[in-house]
Amino acid sequence: MKSLGSIRRNFAPWIDPAASPFLRFEGVTKRFGDFEAVDDLSLSIFESEFFALLGASGCGKSTLLRMLAGFDMPTSGRIILDGEDMSGIPPYRRPVNMMFQSYALFPHMSVAKNIAFGLKQEKMGKGEIADRVEQVLKLVKLEDYAKRKPDQLSGGQRQRVALARSLAKRPKVLLLDEPLGALDKKLREETQFELADLQYELHTTFIMVTHDQEEAMTLADRIAVMDKGRILQVAPPAEIYEAPNSRFVADFVGNVNVFDGTVRAATGDRVTIETTGGFDIVAERDVPVEAGQNVSYVLRPEKLKIAAEPISGPNVMEGEVWDIAYFGPVTSFHIRLDTGAIVKVAMVNATRQSPLQLTWHDRAFVTFDEDAGLVLTQ
Amino acid sequence: MGEGAQTRTVDRSQGGDAGGRRAWGLGSRGLFRRVVIGVPFLWLAGLFLVPFLIVVKISLSQTAVAMPPYLPTFGDPSTWWSALTQFSLDNYVWISSDDLYFNAYTLSLAIAAASTVLTLLIAYPLAYGMAKAPPAWRTTLVMLVILPFWTSFLIRVYAWIAILKPEGLLNQLLISIGLISEPLVILNTPTAIFIGIVYSYLPFMTLPIYASLERMDHSLTEAAADLGSPPLKSFWTITFPLSLPGVIAGCFLVFIPAAGEFVIPDLLGGSRTLMIGKTVWLEFFTNRDWPVASAVAVVLVAILVVPIVIFQRQQARIG
Repeated sequence: MKSLGSIRRNFAPWIDPAASPFLRFEGVTKRFGDFEAVDDLSLSIFESEFFALLGASGCGKSTLLRMLAGFDMPTSGRIILDGEDMSGIPPYRRPVNMMFQSYALFPHMSVAKNIAFGLKQEKMGKGEIADRVEQVLKLVKLEDYAKRKPDQLSGGQRQRVALARSLAKRPKVLLLDEPLGALDKKLREETQFELADLQYELHTTFIMVTHDQEEAMTLADRIAVMDKGRILQVAPPAEIYEAPNSRFVADFVGNVNVFDGTVRAATGDRVTIETTGGFDIVAERDVPVEAGQNVSYVLRPEKLKIAAEPISGPNVMEGEVWDIAYFGPVTSFHIRLDTGAIVKVAMVNATRQSPLQLTWHDRAFVTFDEDAGLVLTQ
Repeated sequence: MGEGAQTRTVDRSQGGDAGGRRAWGLGSRGLFRRVVIGVPFLWLAGLFLVPFLIVVKISLSQTAVAMPPYLPTFGDPSTWWSALTQFSLDNYVWISSDDLYFNAYTLSLAIAAASTVLTLLIAYPLAYGMAKAPPAWRTTLVMLVILPFWTSFLIRVYAWIAILKPEGLLNQLLISIGLISEPLVILNTPTAIFIGIVYSYLPFMTLPIYASLERMDHSLTEAAADLGSPPLKSFWTITFPLSLPGVIAGCFLVFIPAAGEFVIPDLLGGSRTLMIGKTVWLEFFTNRDWPVASAVAVVLVAILVVPIVIFQRQQARIG
C-alpha cells in the first residue's frame, strides 16, 4: 500500500509515536433513554489539527461535539483536553468555543458586542477588549460592520461574525457545527478555503462536524467517518477516499462501484475474484485473503476507462450505455451490463471535443487496472 | 399591488365570455374587499367611537333634574344652535379643583402600577417554567393558564371574598395550623385589591411573556454559556432582554384595565379605598351627576391613551 498522507506537508502527528494527543475521548458512551447516541468511542486528536467528524444525521457526531462543549455529559467514559479531565466542568468554564450551526448570534447586540460578549466574561479591560474585537473582525474581513445588528447582515456575513465570536477568546479547541451548512454553494466553496487558511494561520485545533463529505475532504487533516455512534475509520482525506476500510466508508465518501464475489484464487500479489455478476476480476492482493472467502471489490468511477471498441485483456466488462450525465469537468456514464448491473464510469473531459462518440444504447467496453480498486473483507 | 395584478390576470383568463361579466367580477371583488375591511371599522365606529363621543358630549353638559339628567339635549333642530352654546368645560374645572378626583386618579395609577409589578414578578417565573417544560406539556400548561376564564369573572371575585374574609378559608387555615391566633384583616383593605388584580390579570401577563420565551432560540443561551457566561448571568444578558417585548405587552395588558378597574376594588377593597372606577360609579348612580361622571371617564381615557400610544410605537418598532 502506498502511503497516503495529509494535505499539509510534514504535518502528521498521528503517525509519530512520540507525539502525545491534545484531546482524548476515552471509551465515551452517551445514552438518551434507550438510544445510544455514542457507543464506547475512543479517539485522539492532536494540537493544531483540523479534524472532521463526518457522518449522516443521527450518527452521533453532534453529540460528540456537544459533550466536548459541555452541553451534554457522557454517560460513561472520559474526555481529556490538554491533560485536564473535562468531567463535571460546566460549559462556561471550558477552554473550548463553539460555532453554532444556527450561528446563535445575539439578535439584540451589535456585531462588536456579540464578539466582546465572551471577552467580558473574562474580566478583560475595556481597551484590551476593543483591540481584540478589532483584531478578529479584521481576521474575518468585517471591520466595517462592527456596529450592525445581526439582522442587518447577509448569511455569509453572519457566518463570519459567528466564527469571529468563537475565535475571540482564543480557545484551545474551536468546535464547528456544520460551519458552512447554511451557505449557498458558491459562497461555501469560497468560505472553505478561507476557513482552511484561517486555521493554518492561527494553529488552533479545529474540530468540525459535517455531513458533507466534500467539506470534510477539503478542510480536514483527518476525517473520522461515523455511523451509529461508532467511528468506522479515522484517516487523512486521501486515505479515506482511496483506501476505505469498509464498504460503508467507501459508499459514504464519494461514488463507488461495488462488486460482491468470492475469491477463486489468491496467489502471490494477485487475487482473482469470481463476482456474482459472472465475470472475473483480477486485482492486487493488498489485504490477506484466502480462496473461497467472500469479498467486495470497490472501484471508484474515475478509475475505470471506457471505450466504444472491444478491448482485450483481463478486467473488461461489456454493456449498454444506459445514461450519460455531462457535468462540465467530467462526464458520467452508467453502463448496464448484460446481467442488469449498472457500472458507473466517470470520464474527465480533458479536451474540448471528446474523442469518444458514445450515445444512449450504444455498446460500450469498460476496463480497469489491477490496482484501480480495493478488495474489502468487511 | 401584487394582489391587484393577480386579480387582473385571473379575470383575463376567465374573460372568454361576456365582457360585462368580467367587469362585474372585478367590481364584486373590490366590493368584497371593502366589506371585509369595512366591517371591523364600522364595528369600532359604532360600538366604541360613537358611544365615546356621546360620553364626551355629556361631559360638556350641565346636570339637570330631567330625563336624561343633563342639559342641553338635541330635540327640535331649530334649538340646536342655542343648545351648542350651552356646552362648557365647567365639569373639567370642577374635577381639577376637587382633591377627591386627583386622589382617586393617583391612587388608581399607583395601585395599577404596583399590581402590574407584582403580576410581573409572579408571571415571569411561571411563563419561564412553561417555556422550559417538555414540548408535549406546553399546550396543557397554556390551557391551565386560560382555564379560569371558563368561569365568570364576577364569581371568581366573589370566591375571593369567601377566602379572604375574617372567618374565611385563609384565616381558618392559618389559625388551624397555629400560625396566627387572631384572624387577619385582609378583606376591605388595599391588600385584597392587590390579590384580586394579580389573580385576575395573571394570564394577561403570563401568555405574552410565555410567547416571547417559547419562540426564543435555545442555542442562544448555549452560546452564552459556551462564551463563559454562568446561567444566571446569561439570563440577565440574553434571555430577559429578548423577552422584553412580551414583558412590555403583558404590563400594558395588566396596567390599563387595572387602572380603571371597578369590580375588584368595589367587592374586595371596601369603601375606604376610592379608585377612579368606583368614583365614576358613585357620580353616576349615587349623585346622578352624569356630566361629572362622564368628565371623569374622559380624563381617565386621556391618561391611559398616553401609555397605549407608547406601547403601539414600541410594537411598531419591533415589527
